[in-house]
Amino acid sequence: MKKYRKPMQIAILLVFVLVGGITVASALSNDAEAPPTEGQIAPDFSVAGLDGQTYRLSDFRGRHVVLNFWGSFCDPCVREMPLLQQIYEHYADEGVVVLGVNLDESLATVRSFVRSVDVNFPILLDHGKIQKRYGVIYYPTTFVIGPDGKIAHKKVGEITDMRQVAAYF
Amino acid sequence: MRRFRHETGTLRGAAYDASAAREERTMIENTKCECGHQNPIGTVLCESCGKPTSNDAGAGLLEMRYDGVARRSQKANPNLIDRVWNFFSSVKVAVWLILITLAAAVIGTVLRQENTFFNPSMVDLERFYTEQYGTFGKIYYALGLTRTYETWWFKTLLFMIGTSLVVCSLDRVLPLYRALNKQGIRKHPQFLKRQRVSLETGLPPGYEGNGGADRWIEAFAASLRKKRYRVRVEGAALFAEKNRFSRWGPYVNHVGLIIFLLAALLRSLIPEWNTELDMQWVEGETKRIEGTPYYLKVNRFTEEYYEKDELPEALRETGQGVAKSFETDAVLLECVSDCEGEHPVLEERLQHTIAVNDPLKYDGLAIYQFHFEPTDQIVSMRLTLKREGEESEENLGTFRLDSFDMKLSQQAGSHLVEIEEYYPEFFIRDDRPATKSKEPVNPGYVLAISEGDGGERFRYLFVPKLGIWTELEAEGYKVRGEPSGGFRVAIDSEDDLQLARYKTFLTVRSHKGMEWIWTGAAIFMIGVIMGFYWQHRRVWASVDGGVLLVGAHTNKNWFSLRRETADALRAAGVEVQPNELDNGVKRH
Repeated sequence: MKKYRKPMQIAILLVFVLVGGITVASALSNDAEAPPTEGQIAPDFSVAGLDGQTYRLSDFRGRHVVLNFWGSFCDPCVREMPLLQQIYEHYADEGVVVLGVNLDESLATVRSFVRSVDVNFPILLDHGKIQKRYGVIYYPTTFVIGPDGKIAHKKVGEITDMRQVAAYF
Repeated sequence: MRRFRHETGTLRGAAYDASAAREERTMIENTKCECGHQNPIGTVLCESCGKPTSNDAGAGLLEMRYDGVARRSQKANPNLIDRVWNFFSSVKVAVWLILITLAAAVIGTVLRQENTFFNPSMVDLERFYTEQYGTFGKIYYALGLTRTYETWWFKTLLFMIGTSLVVCSLDRVLPLYRALNKQGIRKHPQFLKRQRVSLETGLPPGYEGNGGADRWIEAFAASLRKKRYRVRVEGAALFAEKNRFSRWGPYVNHVGLIIFLLAALLRSLIPEWNTELDMQWVEGETKRIEGTPYYLKVNRFTEEYYEKDELPEALRETGQGVAKSFETDAVLLECVSDCEGEHPVLEERLQHTIAVNDPLKYDGLAIYQFHFEPTDQIVSMRLTLKREGEESEENLGTFRLDSFDMKLSQQAGSHLVEIEEYYPEFFIRDDRPATKSKEPVNPGYVLAISEGDGGERFRYLFVPKLGIWTELEAEGYKVRGEPSGGFRVAIDSEDDLQLARYKTFLTVRSHKGMEWIWTGAAIFMIGVIMGFYWQHRRVWASVDGGVLLVGAHTNKNWFSLRRETADALRAAGVEVQPNELDNGVKRH
């Protein structure tokens, strides 16, 4: 009987370590689902754009990405649109990407709005998923993502000066 | 080197000394009983004959816990694994773990927890807690106490309690099982005399002489059997026992708890087993329940208020309405094909009126009424396309505008109607049409009407709610879409207009693996019943040189045991009152 005891003990211990590990890991992974903050890796996504193409954030590794969350119903979002277009044009040569994530509006609304404000950076048709993952509560919110995929800056509220974004390139 | 070790020994103080003392004892302790049985270290009563060992205090009632056997954790020279085992096998540790967990659980009730918000991911929690509860709220939030029960440390505590349950049980149940399975019949006289129910007397009349002892034992055995004891006899000694299974009650209920805890753990690991979604529907809206193949269509929301005379006096005065009921008429649909495509095929599964405490339940899904808000939205319109002719208007065909299922191009008779622009809450911003929100409170459409085949397209602004026109005119906006190309779009009857008066907020829960939770709970109850409603009773008797010794033991309800033993003794000719069996010796 004695000689079975040791392997038995170790087996029981392993089961406990496993269950305990899973318990704690699951709790920690819940924390990982929390909205990212500056310095953390920007969560990846893959979503359809207004132009019909699929956009994946990780495809832009090595470049600066300006990720702007907007809605046509939000006045400050509308006001900052020309500035985003300016950033898009001004820094295109440096490889900066501007992505406008629409806050779950209908296609007809987005299309007519984009046409009317005359912007041509990619517009992504998110149906709440990216918004939720990034914990965007206030509109507009703009993330500047570095070439390393980490969030360099999170700007909540209207961009009134190009430098508020460009300072992080 | 020696000196050094000595010094650390003194420095470590009590803990070091205690372990040294334990080691020392193993060297000198003689664990062999006089009956010849070799007992493990920590044994209180000899496993074979029941004679108290040197671990016994020597006087008073016997320590009968776990039948005096050594627990698994009482072991000499413990290694690392043994030490971990010993830690968790301690009831003291278990009690502390439970107290700490209780304290932590209490902390989690101080302020509102995050999961009580509707859609917490859409709430600025840091701001909420700071504004609502001040600095205390801010600190509480920063420490993660707003989600106490999901934190890693709370889960670690629960895991440790689970481990302690298993280890404490195994540490005791295995030796106890072994001990109860090989009980000897003839016990040491000390073992009988020091039981709480005990009697020392002479043989009753009629049992004198040769073989009298054996005959009395047989008579006593027969009377115990009548009381449903299982009796074994060995010469002039007897051992009777009943309801041993009730001893396993606590361990069965621990098994139930473990199943319960594991099921709870699995539910937190597998999203389909336990997710909670907060969603809102407008009357008439059909929306997919995220992450499932199900759609919910909300037909109608109704609320009912108490009549004034139904209210108690105190409330009548306030003049406030009190909701009697609010409920959502809903239909659950399941997607059967083209689920990710543009036109999923839906089949009706269940119709239910969701009210507070009366959720819609289907396939592990439960949809609860949470909240409602009045609104005023246009859900859909059936429209007639007309053209003004020379003398009268001509109906060209009909088409639909569904706010929540928008078709960008459709046919109205032989004409093509395309939605060019859509503004859910139409207004004018900087001389341009725009929207104030995402809700079709005042929808405005720019339609392009053509005869198809790439013919000329006529643009037509359609804003069905009349209220807007005065506002537009006041802002000096010229309405595009005055009859254009002779076309006109009209709502012909009230039936063609579907409005929503309410938004309803529902919480969708997927509840799977609940059968395991219930299994655990049921096993727990079985264990409790086993341990509570039966008692493990044992009676020993021996006759030696005309002296009759009886001892009895139970784990509870001593009164009944004394009565039962006295009854059995009287049936065998020994006149004794139940209270005479009470062994006056105080328990130390």
